[in-house]
Amino acid sequence: MMLARVADSLYWIGRYVERAEHMCRLSDVMLNATLDRTQAADQVTRIALAAVGDPDAAHVGSPYDLAFSLALDREDPGSITSSLALARENARQVRDQITTETWERLNLIYLRMAGPEAPKAFADGASVFLHDIIADLHLFKGAADATMSHGEGWRFLLLGVHLERAQLIGRLLQVCFGDASRRPLDDHMALMSVLRMSCALEPYLRRFTADIQPRKILQFLLLDEEFPRSIRFSTARIEEHLSATARYVEATGHAGPERLAGRLRARLQYADMEELEAAGASALISTVLDECAALHQAIYDTFVAYSLEMRLPA
Amino acid sequence: MVEYGVATAHRSDQAAAHATNSPDAPPAAPYDEMLTALAEVRPHYSALDRRIATLAAAEMSERQRTLERFFLLQGITFTVYGGESSTERIIPTDLLPRIIPAAEWATIEAGLTQRLRALNMFLADIYGEQQILMDGVVPRELVLGAPSYRREMQNLYVPHQAYANVCGSDLIRQPDGAFAVLEDNLRVPSGVSYMLANREASRRTFPGTFRAAGVRAIDRYPDLLLATLKGMAADWRPNPQIVVLTPGVYNSAYYEHAYLARLMGCPLVEGRDLVVHDNMVYMRTTTGLRRIDVIYRRVDDDFIDPLTFRRDSGLGVAGLFNVYRAGNVVICNAPGTGVADDKAVYAYVPAIIRYYLGEDAILPNIETYLCRETSQLSHVLANLDKLVVKAVGASGGYGMLIGPHASQQEREDFALAIKADPANYIAQPTIQLSTAPCLIDGVIEPRHVDLRPFILSGEKIVVTPGALTRVALRKGSLVVNSSQGGGSKDTWILEPDGAADQEGRP
Repeated sequence: MMLARVADSLYWIGRYVERAEHMCRLSDVMLNATLDRTQAADQVTRIALAAVGDPDAAHVGSPYDLAFSLALDREDPGSITSSLALARENARQVRDQITTETWERLNLIYLRMAGPEAPKAFADGASVFLHDIIADLHLFKGAADATMSHGEGWRFLLLGVHLERAQLIGRLLQVCFGDASRRPLDDHMALMSVLRMSCALEPYLRRFTADIQPRKILQFLLLDEEFPRSIRFSTARIEEHLSATARYVEATGHAGPERLAGRLRARLQYADMEELEAAGASALISTVLDECAALHQAIYDTFVAYSLEMRLPA
Repeated sequence: MVEYGVATAHRSDQAAAHATNSPDAPPAAPYDEMLTALAEVRPHYSALDRRIATLAAAEMSERQRTLERFFLLQGITFTVYGGESSTERIIPTDLLPRIIPAAEWATIEAGLTQRLRALNMFLADIYGEQQILMDGVVPRELVLGAPSYRREMQNLYVPHQAYANVCGSDLIRQPDGAFAVLEDNLRVPSGVSYMLANREASRRTFPGTFRAAGVRAIDRYPDLLLATLKGMAADWRPNPQIVVLTPGVYNSAYYEHAYLARLMGCPLVEGRDLVVHDNMVYMRTTTGLRRIDVIYRRVDDDFIDPLTFRRDSGLGVAGLFNVYRAGNVVICNAPGTGVADDKAVYAYVPAIIRYYLGEDAILPNIETYLCRETSQLSHVLANLDKLVVKAVGASGGYGMLIGPHASQQEREDFALAIKADPANYIAQPTIQLSTAPCLIDGVIEPRHVDLRPFILSGEKIVVTPGALTRVALRKGSLVVNSSQGGGSKDTWILEPDGAADQEGRP
């Protein structure tokens, strides 16, 4: 049992933190890839831009300026600094629910990002700067894992993380493999960058060796059972956390988010790579993204903004 | 003003200065917490004094930075809005603890307990039979006409007659060294989280001195508060649901609300989390509605229920007061306690104590002139240049005249205002707060301080052996409010003699 407003805040902390981490990685990979002027570099920039949902940002200028504003632009609600500010603002509102260790990590990251030294630190070494933020976000998640009770609050935090992750990876896959009309992505360097953007390079190599193919990347990021950033992995966690939290809700039973999560998880668990290739991946990816959006709405309707009429004591 | 220095020559200068103080010399020098009038270090400060003497200025500054970082990390900050961006600042905190010996504390403790007992009896009386008004001890119109008097509370049952469950009284030390009560805060007193956070910080900055000094522990405050709140719940609710009600994250004391909720393990709720149905109050949880038994509210009376009090309030929940009236929830502190800390009622507190307890007040009041009384009014008007005049209804330093610092014109204007509505004004002599050593820009200097201890009352009254010492950081300033350049410091209440040595030994 916890306050509905608190559950909502914890869920959003999870989402914002995951979003910030993903944006850091996108920016970092983009900056790295564009160090040399190849055709692949343009492709990577295009992928990164499309994945952050800003396909016509060509006017922004150099990749560096792009990464700078993606990281530190406070006006842009999608920037890393905005995400972290929102995560921290939510954490402040539920300060009584998260442990001091967890709060301190998040507060530190925020103070660094929002501080007056941030632009200079970014200019001195964008890669180091972004890398440090990612490492700090891992510390935050580690602190949450190691110090918070693995009860309802923690589950809502992780629900946010995994739902956001599934959507972010889904969007990345859609950009790379979803559009059948575009020329398929085949450049080795571009493919490596996609793996880096999802923090999947090393686990991928261990699984498939250095044989880097679009088909295998798709399989890995969509259907791998063990890799923590594959969509299948995330949906399995979502189902797990939802069935644990929904246990106490009498009113919804099997009609709510649990059913949606189970169906989505099953869809990915039993997907067949052969069929997927024949039909094109785009249909499945779109379905996954739609169902994630529906899940988000269902979580909100069931746990946070439920109708009082249904829950009043007799 | 005193100066702290190790040079003995310096100290004898001080002594000479004090010796020349004849009766009709300028007002007595403020009491200094560390040095006697002869510039000798008081015994309870000697350990700290020796420790400070061994520290170089750089080391002190380093410790000060550690302290500030601790507060920043914990998020004990307030936001300063302005210019292009808003920045977060910590509440200024001073490194050096203020120390109060056991004997002095015993007097404070007895005095505060006595005072709160009498004030709770007073509240129970005026919201009940009104015997004290019948007997003419306190003027009827003074109480019933006060804006903080809540007619809605008349004849309502309050468990244990504990109206003010949490009280934070402001004490000051007068030049003769005796403590006096400047103000009782019975509505929603704040600052207790700073007391606890300051302690947390000073244990890190002076661990050795702290251990050796035998400082009384205050960490049980959240437990005691929870026990007090639980004791207010109805007997037939064996496992009462207790919540802390906050106005929200933009309130300046939000950190404290979250802090107390976290340490008590209670949900921190806002008005929008609450639902009133069938004369019960519930909170919206992820699994549906859950009934609430006790609300520790940090929202003013005016804002808790738009149906009963201010209609434009969005901070409370509609219908809450009816739930309270029906006995289905307990609100702590009870609405309407403010009438007992009203500035004009304050003047009658010694009489109130005598009336209910048959005792003399252990802690004296500051001398207060009520302009409503014709004889006192003429005295006030004749001595405007020496007095501080306050409007009864106002707080936070508004509607106030500080006689010695005001211009002739200001005094004349104020005199007219007083004559127009004498009942609205009280006057007090300009008060010299005591001074304590503070680290200011790397140098130790005296600054004026007050003392806010916290008293809990439920089934019984408990005074926490600690306090918030507020500091006026500007030189010579007497204003300790955090909104006006005030800071705070840790307060060490020492164990009675030898207790520290005996404890923990076979």
